[in-house]
Amino acid sequence: MWNELLGAFAAVATLPNFIVMAAGIWGGVIIGAIPGMTGTMAVTLALPFTFYMPPVTSLLLLVALYKGSTYGGSISAILIKTPGTASAACTVLDGYPLAREGKGGKALNMALVSSCIGDFISNISLIFLAAPLAIFALRVGPPEYFMLMAFSLTIVASISGRSLLLGIVAACLGLLLATVGEDMYGSFRFAMTEDMKSGLGVVPVLIGLFALPEMLKLAVFRPEENTQAMKLGDNRLTMKEFRGSLKSIIRGSFIGVILGAIPGIGPSTAAFFSYSEARRTSKNGDRFGEGELEGIAASESANNGCCGATMIPLLALGVPGDVITGVMLGAFMIHGLTPGPLLFQNNIGEVYSLFIGMLFSSVFLFVAGKLTASGFAKISRIPQQLLLPCIVILCVFGIYSVASSPFDVAVLLVMGIVGFIMMVLNIPAAPFLIAFILGPMFEDNMRRSLAISRGDLGVFFQSWISWGFFALTILFVALTIRREWQKWRSNVRAAN
Amino acid sequence: MIPNRDFYTGLVATAFFALVLFVLIPVYVRVPSFIPGFAPPPDMWPRVIGWVGLVMGVLALGLAVPKMRRRSSDQITSIGAYLYANRIFVYRFICMIIGFTAFVYLMPKIGFLTATIVLLAFLFIMTGDFSRKAWMIGLSIIFPIFLYVVFTEITHTPFPHGKWFSLARLLHLI
Repeated sequence: MWNELLGAFAAVATLPNFIVMAAGIWGGVIIGAIPGMTGTMAVTLALPFTFYMPPVTSLLLLVALYKGSTYGGSISAILIKTPGTASAACTVLDGYPLAREGKGGKALNMALVSSCIGDFISNISLIFLAAPLAIFALRVGPPEYFMLMAFSLTIVASISGRSLLLGIVAACLGLLLATVGEDMYGSFRFAMTEDMKSGLGVVPVLIGLFALPEMLKLAVFRPEENTQAMKLGDNRLTMKEFRGSLKSIIRGSFIGVILGAIPGIGPSTAAFFSYSEARRTSKNGDRFGEGELEGIAASESANNGCCGATMIPLLALGVPGDVITGVMLGAFMIHGLTPGPLLFQNNIGEVYSLFIGMLFSSVFLFVAGKLTASGFAKISRIPQQLLLPCIVILCVFGIYSVASSPFDVAVLLVMGIVGFIMMVLNIPAAPFLIAFILGPMFEDNMRRSLAISRGDLGVFFQSWISWGFFALTILFVALTIRREWQKWRSNVRAAN
Repeated sequence: MIPNRDFYTGLVATAFFALVLFVLIPVYVRVPSFIPGFAPPPDMWPRVIGWVGLVMGVLALGLAVPKMRRRSSDQITSIGAYLYANRIFVYRFICMIIGFTAFVYLMPKIGFLTATIVLLAFLFIMTGDFSRKAWMIGLSIIFPIFLYVVFTEITHTPFPHGKWFSLARLLHLI
């Protein structure tokens, strides 16, 4: 193992990789700092460029963008009271009051330090947990995989939106779209044109679904721009202030790791949970919400604590835990790598390189945040009216460059319209996307299982692993239905 | 009872999955006369998804009913009245669809570069904010040319020249 780690270190520690990681961190922070732009958008926009890079370099770019954008969300949260990403929503509560007191720089420093510590702990957890989980996953066959994917999709569908039903509707749409084209036995499905026979590309669907709806929202609803950025002011974070928040940083990092490793939960929930725990246990709990540094530390350590942990189910089981890792699964597949237990057997060099690169990117994040905080603060003031149209054009160029196909550009634009309609109808996009990416594997495992068992559905209940995932799925659905039932009853009571 | 947004979401989902199940699958999913071994037919998976989606759509419709008795911000008197009340949004949305369609249609005719310049100018106009006109005009021209140069020089992407006209050829001549 140590030889492989040293080999990976040598493979990662090259100038091109460092340039790509630094660019990814800076790009991610810039995109995360702009309100309305998300980490998902950052990662999807970069996807076409990764075609021209070696596999490890391209994955390091995406990971750096993910980490940078998660931290970047705190900049606009602190300085203009608008979280750049959903996971920075808690940071607003204490960050903006601090900025109003003239301590914006101090708040940004605390966000940076806690983000880096959370990120580092998350990376270490990934290194130690992914391999044992992958060894366990080697005992998993097609029926167990089918059950695992059903379980993951159920969690994502129930947590992503405001209702389980709409989450499942979105997942069904994604699964259906994934069936377009030729199936595993050579039959064509929904191939309405010649171009559709080869199916819909992952990249145009992803980018269309996440980058374009924001432009359509701006063009259709034209929201008022009303943001006034605060100055950085007092910049120094003292050792006493850091020590006072250390407990919350460590606890937040582990909350991020645990919740990040569970598919579907993600950084926003982790940040809220960590913030409420810090508020409950801190001796300054009554100051939370009025400008308490510990609040920022709790929220930022938890959301960055998810970054490495969300990769655990992706690398070990081949199941993405959230939208960003869903996009990364697409990137792995583009480069001929299949995440899951076999990745640890066949591509262990790439896996260790990714681990080492992720540790490096934590350092890059710290350096980038320290050196250019004032520059990033200006970025959060770029008007969306100039930015979003340029992003659409960048998407169009990027998509065309992937396969030189006008059909892909048409898919991109159509998916943008579909994404906007889903936004208007409150149908969550995350289950749609994850179902679209998992769809072919989901169907493949189902058909293989049925072929092995000669059509007997009992194959899905023959091992304790299948039963375990089935029981978890039922338990999760039951809990969600209970929650929805309570909501429904309160609605009925309100109506009467 | 007044329909709300949840009701229409359920209605759209139900109608869509019914269309998939009863029209699109029979027409566009061909089942071969011979399937090797015990493999399920190609229409089985889309049908399973279609039925799950249809049931969820119907449930969403049913569960929207109690909410329809209550006043809320999601309340919509009728789809016609809602669209009429928000007609400016509908017009803008239709404009965006027309813009995107025109881009895809015109790209092979006027060339990729010219089409993206026109599309970017169109998108700036659609934002409705004309306080930064100089930036808008400058970016509309410079940004697509910059991307064109980057993609042709670095990734060697062969962007299509127009049948009617090609700005890219002019650039090459310059």
